[in-house]
Amino acid sequence: MFEKRLYHHIDWGLLAAVLVLCAVGLSQIYSATGGWTQIVETQIYAVLLGLVALTVCLSVDYRTLADKSHFIYLAMIVALVYVLLFGTVRGGARRWIDFGAFNLQPSEFAKLALALVLAKFVGENRRGGVSRMDLVVVGVLTAVPLMIIARQPDLGSAALLIPVAFTVAFVGGMPMRFLGVLAVVGLLATPVVWQFALQDYQQERISTFLDPSQDARGAGYQQIQARITVGSGGVWGQGFTEGTQGQLRFLPVAHNDFIFSVLAEEQGFAGVIVTLGLYLFVILRALESARLAKDRLGAYLVLGVLASFTFQVIYNITMSAGLAPVKGLTLPLMSYGGSSMIATLAGFGLMLNVRMRRFTN
Amino acid sequence: MTDKPAFAWRITLKRRLIVAVSVLAIWSSAIEARLVYLQIGQHAELTERAERQQLRTVETTARRGDILDRNGRVLAYSVEADSIYAVPTEIDNPAAAAAALCLALADCGPEEKETLTERFTRDRAFAYVRRQVSPDDARRVADLDLEGVGFMKENRRFYPNKDLAAQVLGYVGIDNTGLRGIEAAYNTVVSGQPGTVLIQTDARRRAFSRVERPPTTGATLELTIDEYLQHVAERELRAGVEENVAAGGTAVVMDPRTGEILALASWPTFNPNAYRDAQPESQRNRATQDIYEPGSTFKIVTASAALEENVVEPNAPIDVSAGEIRFGRRVINDDHRSGILSFTDVIVHSSNVGAIKVGLQVGRERLGRYVERFGFGARSSRDFPGESGGIVWDPSKLNDSALASVSMGYQIGVTPMQMAAAVSAIANGGELLTPRVVGAVIADGVRTPTERTVVRRAVSRSTAAVVTEIMEQVVERGTGARAKVPGFPTAGKTGTAQKVVNGRYSKSDYNASFVGFVPSREPMFTIVVVIDSPHGKNLYYGSGVAGPIFRRIADAALRHYGVAPTLHAAPPVLMAGSEAPRPRPVARPAQFPSFVTVASGPTGSTAVFPDLRGLGARDALRVLAGLGMTPRLRGAGVVVEQEPAAGSQIASGVVATLTLDRNVIREVVPPPVADVLPAAGLTP
Repeated sequence: MFEKRLYHHIDWGLLAAVLVLCAVGLSQIYSATGGWTQIVETQIYAVLLGLVALTVCLSVDYRTLADKSHFIYLAMIVALVYVLLFGTVRGGARRWIDFGAFNLQPSEFAKLALALVLAKFVGENRRGGVSRMDLVVVGVLTAVPLMIIARQPDLGSAALLIPVAFTVAFVGGMPMRFLGVLAVVGLLATPVVWQFALQDYQQERISTFLDPSQDARGAGYQQIQARITVGSGGVWGQGFTEGTQGQLRFLPVAHNDFIFSVLAEEQGFAGVIVTLGLYLFVILRALESARLAKDRLGAYLVLGVLASFTFQVIYNITMSAGLAPVKGLTLPLMSYGGSSMIATLAGFGLMLNVRMRRFTN
Repeated sequence: MTDKPAFAWRITLKRRLIVAVSVLAIWSSAIEARLVYLQIGQHAELTERAERQQLRTVETTARRGDILDRNGRVLAYSVEADSIYAVPTEIDNPAAAAAALCLALADCGPEEKETLTERFTRDRAFAYVRRQVSPDDARRVADLDLEGVGFMKENRRFYPNKDLAAQVLGYVGIDNTGLRGIEAAYNTVVSGQPGTVLIQTDARRRAFSRVERPPTTGATLELTIDEYLQHVAERELRAGVEENVAAGGTAVVMDPRTGEILALASWPTFNPNAYRDAQPESQRNRATQDIYEPGSTFKIVTASAALEENVVEPNAPIDVSAGEIRFGRRVINDDHRSGILSFTDVIVHSSNVGAIKVGLQVGRERLGRYVERFGFGARSSRDFPGESGGIVWDPSKLNDSALASVSMGYQIGVTPMQMAAAVSAIANGGELLTPRVVGAVIADGVRTPTERTVVRRAVSRSTAAVVTEIMEQVVERGTGARAKVPGFPTAGKTGTAQKVVNGRYSKSDYNASFVGFVPSREPMFTIVVVIDSPHGKNLYYGSGVAGPIFRRIADAALRHYGVAPTLHAAPPVLMAGSEAPRPRPVARPAQFPSFVTVASGPTGSTAVFPDLRGLGARDALRVLAGLGMTPRLRGAGVVVEQEPAAGSQIASGVVATLTLDRNVIREVVPPPVADVLPAAGLTP
């Protein structure tokens, strides 16, 4: 299963960049939480577990995984339903399964399962490009876990499923006119969603984004603080563990959603550009894997996994720079969060998997 | 794998990946532009915003120094009081918070409640609720435990004697800044330096770290004021003002030997503990801020000038039988017609005609010089903020009518303080001293007394002695009889001057004043009393209105200081000064100064006057004779003053006046005459 030949086709550059980003994230968590804390230790374990997951996802041929994807998908749905019924409640949301030593957040893995099942569906579609009927199937396959996750409620994780579905459909040859239809439907749906689907606090977040000063002490606070934090970093930053905004807790959940702002404050524009460059390198390198993939399945699998990763990175950094409403979306690879780290690294395992098997049958 | 040729998935994939990469490129450019904008463009502004929310500078007020009287009794002290402040951005419901606070604070009306609500609504990090509140108020507010409401310690000034010496002390504003009186004049000395605490706080306003610079305590001021005498002066002044139905008044008690102000009273007065409620009228220090025309009391200056300049002798006859004197259409009258009076009696009976005649003889230039020598037209001391310098006309611009006015104390504006200093100059033998109310500054346990400061010699001792004798007779048998202090020889002079109301001399409003000193042969107290616009049964004369107040204050002062009645008065010539005549230092370097070296050419036309101070009379005469100058000597002993001054050009035929004194400090060794002569371009 794991021939020596494959070993040589592992994308070591991508893996290195991913590990560097994990290290940067760890150091910023160390700084933001004020030293060697439980949080730092947990994150280290998460990275190690993530590497195990990465290895697992790397080892099994992605085609084998794709063949079993309907089981994986079903298992994911079951887990999500279980969470909805018996999950651990934290901060008003039911998202976790308690395993005693750690809590697992199944919604983080949902995007992987979805990418697998969609890649399989679209990639082995013998009719050619994605047709209208295919699109309906894709829509249903996405909507089921999305609805469940949104009920937890975890709108952020739910939203991450959309880029997966969209990307797979898009590169799978969805006719361009559907794009127009989707856009129109999206625009029409916006007020309806606003009115009926969004909770009050969610509405508030969006309206505060448009004018943060209207509620400087409430919902707009984080956004204003994020801007101040990034801005006070300057070109070279205030130095490791010297960022006052983060250290004095003016920036909430600094080790989590706002890790990028903390980095910007302590390492300055220089540090931010390097980090940003690493992310871009990782993304472009993964795109390259998709282009080089042996078959449609592989290409779509890589892009499906990459889509949620990229979307999350873009959204988080945009938010950290004060350009998007504050949403509980972490920065993959850097933010604190065990399930997220493991799922992300597992995702990279899948991407590496496709690339290194581009010459095998 | 066998793909249908109809669907070239790789081409679609490639094309659409290019779209995706383009979107990614646009995004990353946008985000980098944003980061450049935030981290480079707005860096300074955002850093400042960060610091503003992280750092809090709290000023800790310094403890203000106490103010004591000359015997160490406390006239002003500071206590710590709580000030309540609010952080409006932390108050969620301004109206409710304001209502709760208002309920806790004493006497908080709906108006203040509204102000508070308004203040809390503003987007500020700091607003005072109320400053320097009572402990009860502070406790009640603390019990409310409101979010966003805090306390800080501030100093509050207390004046335990309430209105005692209020105008002298002044008061302190809420920011520890002296606003009036000594508190203002010596603010930098007593206020101390405020400290600062720089607090770094976290998002929950918990202090994170602090850098402290402690405040320094201000110096203690020891005044020359005697609390008891001040009390007496105020009591008698008030009684006098009320008895005479006057608008106000002032009384100054000064030690003529030192220039120390022992008491300084103004009526109406105010309570500096509640200065906000005080009328501006009552806050004025009338002794230093009010200008008045001194009237007949100013004849002391006219007399001093006339005697010093040898214009008249005390016994010189002066014809005042006309009872009036005319300047064009202006007619000046005497109150009482007399025939021919001696100069002494002109003053004793306060004849305007006589004083004018003498004044005209003295002349405008010389009278003007003495007006200046006695300190009129200039502020007397730094101890009185807002002090007026008075109004003195340029003597060369005076015509005879105006000169006549000045001779009897009109057309000149003086302050009671200037009058007290001038009379003290007569009392102490001719020296004009700087009046002072601050006797010593005590800082860091070190007491630094202020110095007796001689402004200048106003008149000679002998002139002072003669004027003293005349003033004694004013009290003994003249207009000042009602000021006589039993058992003590008293020197004084009455004054009654019409007030200028709306630019004309009023027929009903007068300033009634009395100036004088006791015991006149060994003066301890110069007292000036000025009563503004008396309308009572004693009419408006200085003799009847101000004289008795003078007497009562003088009487109490003498008793308080345990002065024994004068039985055998010393002759006035020797009495000048309280002590034996002080040795007068010769202000001259021990080494003969080089600038005296004369560049006397063969023509001998540009010789320079040498410094003769320290030489004996005989040696000085030899030098002067060699220079071809006419010497004129005064006194005996060694030279202490010379005219022309050393170093000035010699024009031959000029009279050189040397003043000699026996009481010189002997450490100055006079150079041998042999050195002086060649220095002056001469051969011995």
